[in-house]
Amino acid sequence: MTFTLWNLFEASLLCLNAVCILNEERFLSKIGWSAKSANVQGFGEYSSTKSQLFNLLHSIRTVARIPPDIAEYSYNYI
Amino acid sequence: MNYNANAGGRPSFGRKVKRVSDVNAMGYTPFEQGGVNVQQNLYPDIDPDLNSFQSGVPNNAPYKSQGFSASPKASQEQTFNNYGAQPPYPNVNITASPTPNLGVLGQPMVQNMAMQYGQQLAGAGKTILKNEVEKIVPVSKLKYYFAVDTKYVLSKLMLLFFPFTHKDWSVKYEQDGPVQPRFEINAPDLYIPTMAYVTYLLVAGLVLGMQERFNPEQIGILASSALAWCIVELAVYSCTLYITQVETSLRTLDLLAYAGYKFVVSLIGGKSGYYACLIYTNLALAFFLVRSLKVQVLAESNVQDHSYYGAQQPMAGHKRRLYFLLFLACVQPFLSWWLSYHLVVSELVSSTSKTSDGVMA
Repeated sequence: MTFTLWNLFEASLLCLNAVCILNEERFLSKIGWSAKSANVQGFGEYSSTKSQLFNLLHSIRTVARIPPDIAEYSYNYI
Repeated sequence: MNYNANAGGRPSFGRKVKRVSDVNAMGYTPFEQGGVNVQQNLYPDIDPDLNSFQSGVPNNAPYKSQGFSASPKASQEQTFNNYGAQPPYPNVNITASPTPNLGVLGQPMVQNMAMQYGQQLAGAGKTILKNEVEKIVPVSKLKYYFAVDTKYVLSKLMLLFFPFTHKDWSVKYEQDGPVQPRFEINAPDLYIPTMAYVTYLLVAGLVLGMQERFNPEQIGILASSALAWCIVELAVYSCTLYITQVETSLRTLDLLAYAGYKFVVSLIGGKSGYYACLIYTNLALAFFLVRSLKVQVLAESNVQDHSYYGAQQPMAGHKRRLYFLLFLACVQPFLSWWLSYHLVVSELVSSTSKTSDGVMA
């Protein structure tokens, strides 16, 4: 019951990790959950919920990948 | 007559022609005088004799400030223009020594200049700091939400508990934003949610103490727990609004305000009529939320966006907005129940057990 700020932080961190781990091109495209699959949208039209959600996840992934990428690079460099 | 080509819409910044008896009231005039005068006019409440002092001080005083050494002569003329009524002070210390002499510190005019320089540095630092902080935490936008007065608070609380007779839920707008809550009862504010949150913590501590299961850490745990729920709720609402692309004029802080109103409701709970009170107040809260948000979320029909194809788009996702509204209105009572449940139910249990003990004994 006691759902403190620390728990919130942990949960969000784990969720973020889950979002980042699932590789888009290898895995999600096969399911069809990728943001890169062809959905031609005009500029002024409203895109569907799914494409909006996947775009959001893709952008989160791009941003949140930066520290792990740096760590990986430096690890390979050692 | 004078034919003046742009007499119509000329903006009146910088009353150039105004004569200089009133320079301190004018504030910053970008094109009239040099930068030197700006520094002089920043502190109009300082003794105006100072300006003529600083113009009389020789140029190689040990404090070479940026602006002062620029043109003490020019400033002197301007100060004579500005404070025309004052007699020119005799320049006592014109005999300047080339090497910086710290004995000069003892003299009052140097001290005054130093003080003024320091104050100007402090003022510049303060404005820089304020600008930087503004980028991180938008303080001026926050101030809008706390501009309330007693009448607003009382009527808003009454509205929370009995919203059924209120007729007009629209919010009056100013130029670019809604009117301050002080003047408009339907506008959201952050004062009530903040106070309600703190009151919730205190009342929870009180209730726990009455049940003799209080220790000071509980307050901290409760505080962070309630705050965490609020943050989760806020994140969920923002994500939902973004994903479903509902266009509203609600800002994030507005959502926070509406999410915080449930603290007021979760405070109401008695011993005996707990469930009755809960159900009624939650109904009232749901009604209040639906009505006040309906105006902002649903009735966007005035805001048609004309796409590049020229045709007006139909209002996309009317159903989505409705669902979002209902979702919000259902989650709030649930969360307010969740917040008060663990406090009250055990109290009910303990009170009934006490009475039964009394009867048995």
